[in-house]
Amino acid sequence: MGEEKTELKPATVQKTIPVEYDTGNLAVYDPAPLDATKISDASAKESYLKSITRDNVQLLINQVLSLPLTNKKIDEQTNMTLVELPEPIYQLPREKSLPKEKEKTKWEKFAEKKGISKKEKRSRKVYDEASGEWVNRWGYKGKNKDMDDQWLVEVDDQAKTTDDGEDIDPRKLNRMERKKLVKKNMLQQKRNRLNGDADKE
Amino acid sequence: MIRTVKPKNARSKRALDKKQPKIVENVKTALFVPGQTTNQALHDICIDFASLKEPYQKRLHKKNKILPFEDASSLEFFSEKNDTSIIVLSTSNKKRPNNLTFVRMFNYTVYDMVEMQVMGNFKLLKDFKTRAFQVGLKPMFTFQGQIFDTVPVFKQVKSFFLDMFRGEVTNLLDVAGLQWVISISAVEEDENNESVSKFPLVHFRVYKLVTYHSPEPKLPRVELVETGPRLDFKIGRYQLASAEAQKEAFKIPPQLRRKTKKNVETDMLGDKVATIHVGKQDLSRLQTRKMKGLKSRYDQHPEEEPADVIEEEEDGQEKKRQKLE
Repeated sequence: MGEEKTELKPATVQKTIPVEYDTGNLAVYDPAPLDATKISDASAKESYLKSITRDNVQLLINQVLSLPLTNKKIDEQTNMTLVELPEPIYQLPREKSLPKEKEKTKWEKFAEKKGISKKEKRSRKVYDEASGEWVNRWGYKGKNKDMDDQWLVEVDDQAKTTDDGEDIDPRKLNRMERKKLVKKNMLQQKRNRLNGDADKE
Repeated sequence: MIRTVKPKNARSKRALDKKQPKIVENVKTALFVPGQTTNQALHDICIDFASLKEPYQKRLHKKNKILPFEDASSLEFFSEKNDTSIIVLSTSNKKRPNNLTFVRMFNYTVYDMVEMQVMGNFKLLKDFKTRAFQVGLKPMFTFQGQIFDTVPVFKQVKSFFLDMFRGEVTNLLDVAGLQWVISISAVEEDENNESVSKFPLVHFRVYKLVTYHSPEPKLPRVELVETGPRLDFKIGRYQLASAEAQKEAFKIPPQLRRKTKKNVETDMLGDKVATIHVGKQDLSRLQTRKMKGLKSRYDQHPEEEPADVIEEEEDGQEKKRQKLE
């Protein structure tokens, strides 16, 4: 390269008016006024802008390289040396306003008032002793559906009957109860949603 | 507002969740909208801008009859539809030739707008022979001129270009990724200028970095090669952000707010100064009697008769000796 034969130019820049660094944004703000005559002269303009930018970039690069370094392991052989950037100084507007906090449900409000702490999360799987496997507690092939496809079921002494006095199939009863719970939960969800909307207004 | 229905499946739910406000926001995407009167030059400039903004950009291809300063509702629609917060609208007419309107959105409504007319001496990416840099690298910025800190429109221009091209905010940076720089400069406002717009031109330049060895250890010497686009803008109409929107948009989420350390200050010279509060020292338990003669039993109390104490002590020692014998 021709550059190496000639004398090495210095990598430092002297400025009369100090520039402002914003390394978090990788930006440098140079408050020194530009030479208006050079800018208006078409032949000198480009080289002038370039030389000023070069000086500022050199200053920024020097500033970035003086920041603390960290090593980040990518895989076993390669290690990357990264520069730790500070937080940006120049703040920019957000795109959307801050996320709103989720509205508390009726139960959550009640629990807070009474000081009831949250239950530990129940596992989704449950041990099925008959097959010796872990099966879903609910959902597809859920444990709560065991009753549905039994070929033989015990009937309680005080078995529930319909209004006509007929026995209700306990398999059906089990399913009905499950569906009722689902419906109740849907209603609660809806109520909570409506309450949340009402609170906002 | 676009009507949204409750998502019926997981995929659409994920897509909707992506649009929700976040604590740490995604990179702002830019949407390039050709206006009714756009021309070939603006089309090419928009392609160049889009390639600098890659991959966070989208370009519309059909012309749209939009007058942003009269009615920005279609821009707001585009913003919500495409989930973008930067819109660049290109129009050109006799009064405002080669005009790019840079619009920023906040919550899908117009935050601020500025019109910039591209002067005739522009050059595109393809007019430069140098090879472009890798896609998606963070650029460096240099702003030349005091005007970017003093005049509101220029502040807006500075904020806009930073917002548009800054990319992801990271705290770790690979030095090898520093490959290109966006240089934006403007001369100072000329009070004597009698023309319609006294604002100076904004010079937008993009350079690629070339580094060489230098005599200083560990510091490279930087040279620049222009890669384009080279654009000179004349500022036209503008609309600044309202105080309300600004207040809302500059809120910092409490989760990200840095806690100020107590009793740590930086003094005038930039040195870190800390006040340390040491608890009150309990001197009553200080161990000072390291010698036999200083033990508490040899203390001399003026009320008591010291001689007796010593005698008693001696008696005790004698008894001990007797036992040992």
